[in-house]
Amino acid sequence: MFDTLSGYIINNPTFSIAVFITILPIALTIIRKAFLDQSLRLLFCYLVIKLIIDFVMLYYASARMNNLMFYNLSIPLFYALLGGMFYFKFNGQRQRRLLVVSILGFCVFSTWDIVNSNENLEDLKEHRIVLYAKTVEGILVISLILAYFYEIIKSLKIPNLLTFPFFWVCSGLLLYYSSLIFVAPVLHYAYTWKDPMELGMAESIPSIFETVCALLFSVGIYHYSPKDYAK
Amino acid sequence: MQNSEELKWALLIASLAMLAMAFCMISFVMYYQKRRFEEEKRINDIEKNYNRLLLDTALNSEETERRRIAQDLHDDIGTMLSLTKLSLNQLSKLVGNSGDEKEESIMKKSQSLVEETILHVRRITRDLVPTTLERFGLMEAIEEFIHKLEEDSNLVISFQSNTEEFPRQGQKLELTLYRIMQELVNNAIKHASCTKIDIALEIDEEMIGLRVTDNGVGFDPEKIKESNLAGLGLLGIESRLAIVNGTVQYEQPAKGGSSAIARIPVNPASGNKPEPLHPFRRERVNI
Repeated sequence: MFDTLSGYIINNPTFSIAVFITILPIALTIIRKAFLDQSLRLLFCYLVIKLIIDFVMLYYASARMNNLMFYNLSIPLFYALLGGMFYFKFNGQRQRRLLVVSILGFCVFSTWDIVNSNENLEDLKEHRIVLYAKTVEGILVISLILAYFYEIIKSLKIPNLLTFPFFWVCSGLLLYYSSLIFVAPVLHYAYTWKDPMELGMAESIPSIFETVCALLFSVGIYHYSPKDYAK
Repeated sequence: MQNSEELKWALLIASLAMLAMAFCMISFVMYYQKRRFEEEKRINDIEKNYNRLLLDTALNSEETERRRIAQDLHDDIGTMLSLTKLSLNQLSKLVGNSGDEKEESIMKKSQSLVEETILHVRRITRDLVPTTLERFGLMEAIEEFIHKLEEDSNLVISFQSNTEEFPRQGQKLELTLYRIMQELVNNAIKHASCTKIDIALEIDEEMIGLRVTDNGVGFDPEKIKESNLAGLGLLGIESRLAIVNGTVQYEQPAKGGSSAIARIPVNPASGNKPEPLHPFRRERVNI
């Protein structure tokens, strides 16, 4: 088992690095006690769950088993956690209400998409990636980031963005979801058990930016200071 | 096969374009935020300078008005009182010759009232314009102020300085320190119910420190500032200090009472000696 897994990791460095780099922001969150902030606590949960899911998927992939079910199930869960992060950052009640509605609506939508994309849900071997949900998740997260950036510019409460943890978190997410938004719907057609299609470099870009995203999370968490957040 | 290749390229280009947009967005937010902060800071600086100028002008006007009143008191009322005193002296001689005791007693009472009024006018004139400050400097002015206060009350006021020869400072700075000292001592007398006041004046290479400590009831400066009227004196001190880049700090010593420390950067007097502040000359005060 270990040999198969390590062989798979060595043969797929881009994907494997994207999985294990998540350990860095998790460790930094614990060291810098970033979980004291509500938003960063949710980010911590997101990172831990992501690491577990990614590792399980890596194991399944190395064992030549279909792991796309985990990918599909992670979509609403990740959006709920990332959306929750923004819930604590937005000041307006209307924005918060819209955010809660979008989380609930997206959970329903992604469930429908899983059912819609798979004729037979019980056939886990032939399970396929959702067609729309990942792209919609990307659009929603990018919209939340842009709305938050607008609020930052409007309120002028943060004197130096480069030392503000959540700015780095938003930048990482913006890059990751931007790299994924066009690739995500194509994955539905490319990742099939019987006739998979190689996407070449386009396939690696989201993984590269997943790594970049984790690094930017780390920079943000590194700048976190419990003293500043106590105000 | 060809379609698959085209799809790969299209995906790659679209993803890269999206990433470029994301990079631009992040850079724009950073740049725009920085620019807005700079603009905001510039506006704040302009507003601050304007307020400072306004305050400076108001304090200048106040000093000019004090001088004008002192001058009018001295030139008009003072002169008339001196003439009245002279006339009363002449009249006193005439009354003395007549030998009427009742008339003599009324005359003496009138003379003493006029003399008392002359003294009051002199005191008010000196209070309005601190001529000792201009002529001899801060230490002498504070000593004179203490001497006058001790004459009129049972207070014990001590004054000490870390130097025997306190170097002369700019006119504005000396006047600011003097007025602050006056305000702090008056506050202690009016509100602290104290029996002892210590005034300390310290100077080093960079800063001048003025400390006024009393053994009264003490106070919480934040609470006083919050109440509109009661905090006017403290606000006045802060306003005066803002003009000379000074700071003030209030403390509550463990043994009771209160202590205020004003610190102002040293600003030695320029080579040419300033014109003495004197009520006899009609001129504008250049503080």
